[in-house]
Amino acid sequence: MPAPSNRITIDPITRLEGHGKIDIYLDDMGDVERAFLQVPELRGFEVFCRGRPAEDMPQITSRICGVCPTAHHMAATKALDALYQVEPTPAGRLIRELVYHAFMLEDHALHVFILGGPDFIVGPDAPPAERNILGVIGKVGVEAGQRVIATRRRLRELIAYFGGKAVHPVLGLPGGVSKALDPADLPRFRQLAQDAVDFAAWTLDVFHQLVLGNPDYVKLITSDAYTHRTCYLGMVDAQNRVNFYDGKLRAVDCEGREIATFAAAQYRDFIAEHVEPWSYMKFTYLRPRGWQGFTEGPDTSVYAVAPLARLNVADGMATPRAQAAYEEFFRVLGGKPVHHTLANHWARVIEMLYAAERMLELVHDPMIMSPDVRRVPTAVPRAGIGVVEAPRGTLFHDYATDERGIITAANLIVATGNNAARIAMSVERAAKGLIKGGQVTEGLLNKVEMAFRAYDPCLGCATHTLPGHLPLKARIFDHRHQVVRELVQE
Amino acid sequence: MTAVAEWRLLVLGLGNDILTDDAVGLLVARAVAAQLKDHPEIAVHETTEMGLALLDEIADFDALILVDAVQTGRTPPGHIHECDIADLPQVTATSPHFVGAGETLALGRRLGIAMPERVRVIAIEVADPFTLGTQPTTAVQKAVGLAVDRVIALARDGF
Repeated sequence: MPAPSNRITIDPITRLEGHGKIDIYLDDMGDVERAFLQVPELRGFEVFCRGRPAEDMPQITSRICGVCPTAHHMAATKALDALYQVEPTPAGRLIRELVYHAFMLEDHALHVFILGGPDFIVGPDAPPAERNILGVIGKVGVEAGQRVIATRRRLRELIAYFGGKAVHPVLGLPGGVSKALDPADLPRFRQLAQDAVDFAAWTLDVFHQLVLGNPDYVKLITSDAYTHRTCYLGMVDAQNRVNFYDGKLRAVDCEGREIATFAAAQYRDFIAEHVEPWSYMKFTYLRPRGWQGFTEGPDTSVYAVAPLARLNVADGMATPRAQAAYEEFFRVLGGKPVHHTLANHWARVIEMLYAAERMLELVHDPMIMSPDVRRVPTAVPRAGIGVVEAPRGTLFHDYATDERGIITAANLIVATGNNAARIAMSVERAAKGLIKGGQVTEGLLNKVEMAFRAYDPCLGCATHTLPGHLPLKARIFDHRHQVVRELVQE
Repeated sequence: MTAVAEWRLLVLGLGNDILTDDAVGLLVARAVAAQLKDHPEIAVHETTEMGLALLDEIADFDALILVDAVQTGRTPPGHIHECDIADLPQVTATSPHFVGAGETLALGRRLGIAMPERVRVIAIEVADPFTLGTQPTTAVQKAVGLAVDRVIALARDGF
């Protein structure tokens, strides 16, 4: 069949601009002075939001990212609670938590099997043709793969039950949620939660057998190449246990000593943004310590977020099986805090277990069936800050409105922003090991990619489906800041 | 959704409805849906999801036409790329952020889920998929009509 116009071509799409750019600056000896990953910025967020009703924010922000819609939805909903100075009803809160833990579990599962899987389940030294999702299935078996996909589908059905759909839930309202749990539906959610616990426990078993049982993997996880002695930030409950949905933020230094514990509303007193002349990116750091550069050790103000950070800042987990796994984690890796970036994969599995156990607690709380799911706010809105722990780390939403609740200012700090300084350090270390005297080692991009992949940075959330992989481009600059080489990984 | 068993072909528009040009796949699907309304064998869906979430969406159809935005930087905005799914990378996923359509199909098949046998991709070259906005750029808006015609021709006449 002829194409209707000569503007249509048959053209394999192999590259996507604007993603995964790495800039490497050399000194006059040809050694690496500075290297960083450039993350495309989402433009026009504040302009887009200004003039819109604050109640639209859970819908708008859930569209920012196709991977973390529920995290943005929940952070925005909590910011609305603060804005309208209203606490959700007990049932409203329990339903929010149930949906949120289902989301954390399904996102973590996807990450463990698809992102971590090729490196750890298949193996870092396996041929490239096998280091992919089909290789993971080959290793764990088709039935196991079916179990991952089926569990994920059921968790998403739970999210859709309350939110109308899984991708852009219409659930959170200031003071509660839009839908109650019909007691007739409770038995299937109880079954799902029990199955979720079994699934998470099985995932931990798989991780034990395939990863921890292999000395080479353990050596890789604990190697210097993937270790940075930085600070950590994460949310904890009143007993300093990991909490994804609510609590205070706790920061610890590289020895595990507490630097501060603070409420979300005070975050500007503790988190600041640094800008380098060579990048438009903002690097967050712990304000009380001042910007100390991209440094490690006792005085650094660089911090990390995400599963490893959450375990490092907490004194434990709030559920029994996750607590046992938490204790084993620190016992095996030599005590707190753990500084190995690749340990994020293990920490993520422990968090899966916690999310599932918490779901089970929630569906057995009789209060969750109450029809009283919303408290209607009456206060005049002014400003609201909401924080949750997203799968990839702490997520801040910060809004100001006029007295009618119309947005006048809006700001977000996403997990990748919180991790930006440490990601830059990881990329730089990898580049320094691979470029000497202007000579670039073969496979530079693959190794640099591995250095930042454990953070799973969000590299701009548009146009993702095609071509469907992460194209990387590295530009190497000489000491006069002239591009001397470009490397592209298709 | 009771008629799903009757439908043989799915036209699936992908994109983000508040990221300027990234919405183009959704706009094309919407226009195609208006023209193919009540067609007994063709379903037209829009989704803002990506990656593995597409598994549930595309399962059980015989054929699939994906409509999406793309930025290759090699053609002017509004250019319409067309390719067979075999031209897309099949198994290079390194992140849930970047699980592509080819990989999703390969995974579905490996797991014994009924995946479409024939897949055609229509991808519209975009100028700006990074700024929040609900109005696509002019070149991309102009391409919508042409893409709609092409999708309908493929859907009706087969590929």
